Amino acid sequence: MPDTLAIKRISASPSALIPLESLRSGGPVYSKLVDISKCIGCKGCEVACKEWNDLKVEQTSNFGSMQSHKDLSSNTWLLMRFNEVEIGDDLSWMIKKDACLHCEEPGCLFACPAPGAIVQYQNGIVDFNQDQCIGCQNCVSGCPFDIPRFDKETKTVAKCNMCIDRVEVGLEPACVKTCPTNAIQWGIKDDMLALAEKKVETMKRRGYEHAALYNPGGVGGTHMMYVVPHGDRLEDYSLPAHPVASPAPLGGLNVLRRVGSYLLGFGVLSALAHFLAVGPMSPEEDS
Amino acid sequence: MSQPLLLRFTFLHRVVHWVVGMTFVVLLLTGLAFSYPSLFWLTTLLGGGPAARVLHPQIGAVFGVGLLVMFVLWVRDMFLDAPDRQWLGAIKHYAAHEHDKVPPAGKYNAGQKLFFWLQSLLGVLFVATGLLLWFPESFGSGLLNTMRLLHFAAALAGGLLLILHVYLGTVAYPGTARGMIDGKVTTAWARLHHPRWSGERVER
Ligand code: SF4
Repeated sequence: MPDTLAIKRISASPSALIPLESLRSGGPVYSKLVDISKCIGCKGCEVACKEWNDLKVEQTSNFGSMQSHKDLSSNTWLLMRFNEVEIGDDLSWMIKKDACLHCEEPGCLFACPAPGAIVQYQNGIVDFNQDQCIGCQNCVSGCPFDIPRFDKETKTVAKCNMCIDRVEVGLEPACVKTCPTNAIQWGIKDDMLALAEKKVETMKRRGYEHAALYNPGGVGGTHMMYVVPHGDRLEDYSLPAHPVASPAPLGGLNVLRRVGSYLLGFGVLSALAHFLAVGPMSPEEDS
Repeated sequence: MSQPLLLRFTFLHRVVHWVVGMTFVVLLLTGLAFSYPSLFWLTTLLGGGPAARVLHPQIGAVFGVGLLVMFVLWVRDMFLDAPDRQWLGAIKHYAAHEHDKVPPAGKYNAGQKLFFWLQSLLGVLFVATGLLLWFPESFGSGLLNTMRLLHFAAALAGGLLLILHVYLGTVAYPGTARGMIDGKVTTAWARLHHPRWSGERVER
């Protein structure tokens, strides 16, 4: 079996900018494909995610929605969002499988200052290592999809890891395995792209003229892609129309980093220059 | 050898100065480590990334309290008077070591006074943004990022002040640092840097 855990990028290391190439780079590159139109809202995937990853159960309550939890958390890595939208005079559920999209160019990893706290594998998975995490939450600002969640108790950040421990041994992620309608599929990314194309065509034939694939180029494409019937209403799915790998918050940080190194360097150098120019000023000794 | 000495800083002043100074250096180094991946190794000073992240705000709390005490101890001497304004007008002569062209300073010159106010201002910024960053679960990630940027900007300004402070206090003006070690300075030093203060002291 090909090695599926060859590393591509490590946070706060040169490989964050220039991805690592290795002998094993040619291994499989995976993707999930989520076909929203097939979701029946059973939330089996949410349960499977909790079970496989041994995540704590949170008390939920009915807040007038089909949705189980209000938001993702450090213990809820997957949430089926049921946005209610009126199309014509019909109520529609704009369902979104809210979880990490495993970006090809991960903003979280670019933002992380702790070496090794975020690792991207050649197979496309972006994983957080809590033992290296310093809980600074730069990744939260760096993610264009608002995915990572801070854990108050452990003071670290957590998110979907694509069931990396299953993928490693050739299994599909738990949510994929569970889905009774095949709304979530798993495979080699190229195959999933081909499949998505067919699905989009079918939807279009059935009258969803704006049906589209969601695999945004601003983050280099993702390893969880969506096929959405209403590709012209991405906001209604809570999907950003133009996500970028280095969103505005990171821009501010990068500017300050640059300004900072010049400023402090300038400070030290000008002190040195001043000293060389005029030297010390000593009091004349009383005699 | 045996020059007459003047007491410039009491024991309490010295202790407070070093508490603030040393905590600030540790905070600056760990803060830079959190901001620059290439400096992350500095977290080793406090036992590695996660430990440094836990200790940084705690040390920050000590720094904040120290700074407050510092403010209370020093603020009386820090209001600018008329001669101070003249001193500021002649600051380029001061920088060029032409002290005969610089109006005589009191216990603190106008530069030191401005330094004090700037440092206090930055201190407020540090503590306010730092407190929010310490308990990030209480608000959203948009505000979090703004706080982080403000905290970072304040740290850069603080770092610049530190470089200036250490340079002037040590190699640029020999005899100054001693005031913060055993608290004493020579009368010659005082006459050179703080003539109005040394005058008061000598008359007494
Ligand atoms: S969706 Fe967010 S957390 Fe997931 S890889 Fe992309 S930037 Fe990182």
